[in-house]
Amino acid sequence: MDDRFRVSGAAQAGRLERGYRRLLACYPARYRQIHEEEMLAVLMTGAPPGKRRPGIAEAADLLWGALRIWCQPSPAREAELAWRDALAILSVILPLILVVSVVVNEARVLVLMPGSPFGHRFLPWALKQLAAPLAMGALVPLALRMRRLAALAGAGLLILLVALVSSPPSVLPIGDIIVIPALGLQTVALAASPGPRRALKILTWKHVALVVIATVLVWTRAISINPVARLIVLAVIGARMAQTSPLGRWLLLFMAIPAYPLFFFGMPPFSPPGTGRGWGLDFLPSTAAVVVACYLPPAALAVLAAVAARRASSQSSGPLDVAGA
Amino acid sequence: MTDVPMREPTFLILTALAAGPQHGYGIMTDVAQISGGRVRLRAGTLYAALNRLAVEDLVEMDREEIVDTRLRRYYRLTPHGTARLAAEVDRMRRHTAVAARRLAAPGGSA
Repeated sequence: MDDRFRVSGAAQAGRLERGYRRLLACYPARYRQIHEEEMLAVLMTGAPPGKRRPGIAEAADLLWGALRIWCQPSPAREAELAWRDALAILSVILPLILVVSVVVNEARVLVLMPGSPFGHRFLPWALKQLAAPLAMGALVPLALRMRRLAALAGAGLLILLVALVSSPPSVLPIGDIIVIPALGLQTVALAASPGPRRALKILTWKHVALVVIATVLVWTRAISINPVARLIVLAVIGARMAQTSPLGRWLLLFMAIPAYPLFFFGMPPFSPPGTGRGWGLDFLPSTAAVVVACYLPPAALAVLAAVAARRASSQSSGPLDVAGA
Repeated sequence: MTDVPMREPTFLILTALAAGPQHGYGIMTDVAQISGGRVRLRAGTLYAALNRLAVEDLVEMDREEIVDTRLRRYYRLTPHGTARLAAEVDRMRRHTAVAARRLAAPGGSA
């Protein structure tokens, strides 16, 4: 708060102004730091000439307003809580996205190559692709009853999955590249957020339909093989999410973690064997290198964003000081 | 998520800001003028409402000025606030249209 406002206000304080200041002292200190001088200006502007003290109705209105401010969250606090709601939503929609992705991909294979392209191995292959997403989906009803147990189960499932894919070949299938960070994010979401119980209060059938449609759109053949088209579709979806609210922006940030490998599939270290590992991770086993590449950049981005958000909320002394927060 | 009907003071504050950014006293004056003097907001009510509207991402701060050594802060509608106000206008318009038709119909109360 700029001291020049306090100095000029104090210098001109008359009896009426002192009366208003006594009433405004009932407001939270952090709120007063930002809004006291502004409210005082409004009160003094509206006071008729010769008025010497606040009226009874005016005093009651200010006291009632102070009570409401004490009971209301500040916009900065809402932005803090939004990340927890975003994680809660992800604990539900991540398995949905993965199941839809695998179904669309396998259906596309059947359509493009009719007659079971892998022969008798196609169905077991498809079921193998669906196993991890369906297991993630099973964590949701478990988390409705026992959220922490579901988080532990998710962690166990993650360890099992990483162990299973650690055997050769030296690069993960695309399904596992996405499933591993998604499962990790869902496990964190179940542990650190209110979980599916909170998500089901926020999500509507319209949201679920939009998620399914967006997922199908991203995986249609014309878009999935064209990185520029994929980037454009995801950028449009992301821009809309970022525009809506702090919750939308946190969802967008967290979704970057499992979506991150999609932008780099085909480049080291996701390339087929023999094309180089790149990224300076040659000292790690190939699977570990891929997992680090999956998690590290978006996780670092999420940590930086969380630190920046925490610093912004600790510096903001009250509401309405960060536009659009 | 379904939006609940808007309370009248909230509607009037958003309507006042729909014309452009305004400071607190300007909002109070405009609300009284829009309502024909029926709704008179006081500073405590106004600023509690502005705080709640900011939490709901319907309004945000626009700019600050110093006028006669007093701090004056302007507020504006957010895109979400504009959409919310438009939705409320549409809702009220539909309801009033139904009421007007029924009143004008033969056997109606008009």
